[in-house]
Amino acid sequence: MNSAINNIGHGSHRPASREAPRLKIKRIAAVLAFGAALVLCWRAAEIRPTVLLVPGTSAALWTFVRSLFPPDLSPDFLRIVGAAVIRTAALAIAGTTLAIAIGLPLGVMSTPTLWQRGVLLAGEPPGAGKLAVAWLSRFCRALLGFMRAVPDLMWGLLFVVAVGLGPLAGVLALAVSYGGLLGRVYADVFEDVDPRALEALHATGATRTQVFLRAVWPQAKPTVVAYTLYLLECCARSASVLGFIGAGGIGYEINLSMRLFEYGQLLTLILALVGLVAATDFFSRYLRRRLHANAPAGSLAHRHIENEPGSPSHADRRTRAALFILIAVVGASFYLAGFFNSTRAGLLSRMVRFAGEMFPPELDPMFLRSLALPLVQTIGIAVMGTLIGVAIGAVLSVPATATLAFAGEDEAGSRSLMGRAARACVYYVSRLALNLLRSIPELVWVLMCILAVGLGPFAGTLAIGLHTGGVLGKLYAETLEEVPARPVEALRATGAGPLQILLWGIWPQARPTLVSYTVLRWEMNLRVSTILGLVGGGGLGQAIYNNVQLGFYSRTTTIVAIVYVLVIMTDWLGDRLRVRRTAI
Amino acid sequence: MIYSLKDITKSYQSRNGTVRALDGLTFDVLPFESVALLGPSGAGKTTLFRLLNATLRPTSGKLSFDQNDVSAMSSRELRQMRRRIGTIYQQHQLVPSLSTLDNTLCGRLGSWSLLETVRNATRPIKRDIEQAMAALEAVGLADKQRARADELSGGQQQRLTIARVLMQDPDVILADEPFASLDPALTETIASLLLELVQNGKRTLVATMHDVDLALRYFPRVIAMRRARILFDKAPSDVSREDLVTLYGDDPEPEAGRPVDPDIQEPPREFSYKQHRAR
Repeated sequence: MNSAINNIGHGSHRPASREAPRLKIKRIAAVLAFGAALVLCWRAAEIRPTVLLVPGTSAALWTFVRSLFPPDLSPDFLRIVGAAVIRTAALAIAGTTLAIAIGLPLGVMSTPTLWQRGVLLAGEPPGAGKLAVAWLSRFCRALLGFMRAVPDLMWGLLFVVAVGLGPLAGVLALAVSYGGLLGRVYADVFEDVDPRALEALHATGATRTQVFLRAVWPQAKPTVVAYTLYLLECCARSASVLGFIGAGGIGYEINLSMRLFEYGQLLTLILALVGLVAATDFFSRYLRRRLHANAPAGSLAHRHIENEPGSPSHADRRTRAALFILIAVVGASFYLAGFFNSTRAGLLSRMVRFAGEMFPPELDPMFLRSLALPLVQTIGIAVMGTLIGVAIGAVLSVPATATLAFAGEDEAGSRSLMGRAARACVYYVSRLALNLLRSIPELVWVLMCILAVGLGPFAGTLAIGLHTGGVLGKLYAETLEEVPARPVEALRATGAGPLQILLWGIWPQARPTLVSYTVLRWEMNLRVSTILGLVGGGGLGQAIYNNVQLGFYSRTTTIVAIVYVLVIMTDWLGDRLRVRRTAI
Repeated sequence: MIYSLKDITKSYQSRNGTVRALDGLTFDVLPFESVALLGPSGAGKTTLFRLLNATLRPTSGKLSFDQNDVSAMSSRELRQMRRRIGTIYQQHQLVPSLSTLDNTLCGRLGSWSLLETVRNATRPIKRDIEQAMAALEAVGLADKQRARADELSGGQQQRLTIARVLMQDPDVILADEPFASLDPALTETIASLLLELVQNGKRTLVATMHDVDLALRYFPRVIAMRRARILFDKAPSDVSREDLVTLYGDDPEPEAGRPVDPDIQEPPREFSYKQHRAR
């Protein structure tokens, strides 16, 4: 499929007369291959749309929805929910802190412009030391790739075995998984700063550390801070899901209520989860804005010269207070996450023993063959789930785009009050729907889809589709809104309606970004689809869960390795697709 | 001799084979000499500067700085060498998000220990700040000390790079088009500032110039480069009209464009935080 796209991309520049027939054949072959792959994915994901149409299904769904109400708001249960929320928040904060502690040094080490090539290294004498450092840097980058490629829940499952049930396993899973992500993003940000400043400072005789502190860090800081705060949101979402596998907190309570058929409690918990994620989102957005507003030039040299009488201590005092609160919150989080428990004696030897049992990986052909079906299922779930998500996102994003929903509203006397109200209604309803779809994690969706279509990959596919629809719909709407406005204005001035503006003014400009988001999401969904099996959504997750439960740790290693290879291949394919598609 | 170049060649591997950016350069620069470097764009002047300040290594040939062979130096010795060479870049090469004052302070990095670097990020040493302020005063930017470097105009940025070099207090100044983004009045100011530096402080100056008149007026020695080679190396009184016609005359073959240097990247594209966010 990929090579065919490749050829189309090149073909468009060649003289048409000679290449046309061959190109046509290749194009047909590409379409056929793509179609075959889709059919395969459809089959693998066991998609049965008819199940959704059977009267029994809709009746069951209706019963489920009805039994969600009223939400359980009894004081006893609210106390449980409160404790779960606090525990999940503590998990997220402790996880983010550790992820920074892991990601920052590894990120610095794996920045190619600092250790492998570029201005800072071109003038250095060649030698074994220089080579060794470059290879160490490459190793760090590969390590980050591995940490990131294995999904957070899979790390969680491994850590549950290694350190026992409880929040500690969850924190470690977050730290490793998101440490890998953070490290890679840091490395990318450090690499992408303006290299001319590096060259200049290097030429004054500055050491590499000095160049990093004075030229790289000041340029990278705003992005690094923004992304780290964003990661806190991710960790909050992930922390609530980690409860499913025994880390405690909201996920654990959701799982419990589901199994007890206490759907009133379920609704309360989901609302608490949505509230927690929204609160983190709000908090990190607030901090980002504050920090952005307060971020003039880098150092504090100015305060020193100005020494305004009396006043300098004011800002100092606030900074100090903020720092104190931060340390207190982080400390409390680690405490709640079970870090200072003295009963953890023998933890290290337990971890070592577990690590020892994971090797060598199981390579028995029978076992490998048994993994073939779950593997194909995983891929099928990711592809079909993404497609469903694209469909949902596309449908909901258009009314959720402010520039379209309110197009031409300020034109003189163009709309009646009723018309305006209807438009606003459509806009807010679609935004709300997108937020709802997005804030419920895939694993919770799986549990609900199982109620509708039963255990198996179809439930997983639907779950991914619903969540992805929410995410993509929001991203699509944002992209459509942020399209450069002038061409759109020009179209509107010619008297084009909203649909024409969408097709001729917005779509051509937004297309590369839309494609890029979709491909990124597909890569991400592949990671997710490897773990859906933990709760009965099909794919490799089931296999890994069973083997962990049964204590077949060497088999677990094999599956983790397969997941790693699968993710790496998807990322590679995704990168190629993105380059091709956005270039055309 | 402060610089001694013997048959210096620098070549890059590009898609179309090997590109020679410098081809067999041989010349010496004496201490306290002022040399102007002339030549059309793409002649290799900037690459030569990168060799002279030890940002790049020559592919072949022998480059000596202050009687020491550069290719035999350790990383530490190279750093000490760079500390003695101040470079004024054509594209300013400032840290965009740091203030004017902080950028000036950066000139001192080479003589700070790591501890001092960290200390200077929070509580700068008073003596350094006073010197930095004096340097900003000298280039007429004292009132801009709080502004971010990327908020300055082109001419102000140019003056800021000069302030950074003043702060560095080097033995050798390499100036790549120091007057490129200055108006005529400022050019006079900065030119006299540079020359004053060279004459009073007993420093060596090598400057590339696109303005031939300026070069011939201010510099006692002119080296002209064309297509990676030296065309002539004379006193300005000996430079004839024909010399200049050959130097800047139309090329019979079209220029292949600037060689792409694999070690020095282009200025980056905007880092897409949103792309990562989508993950």
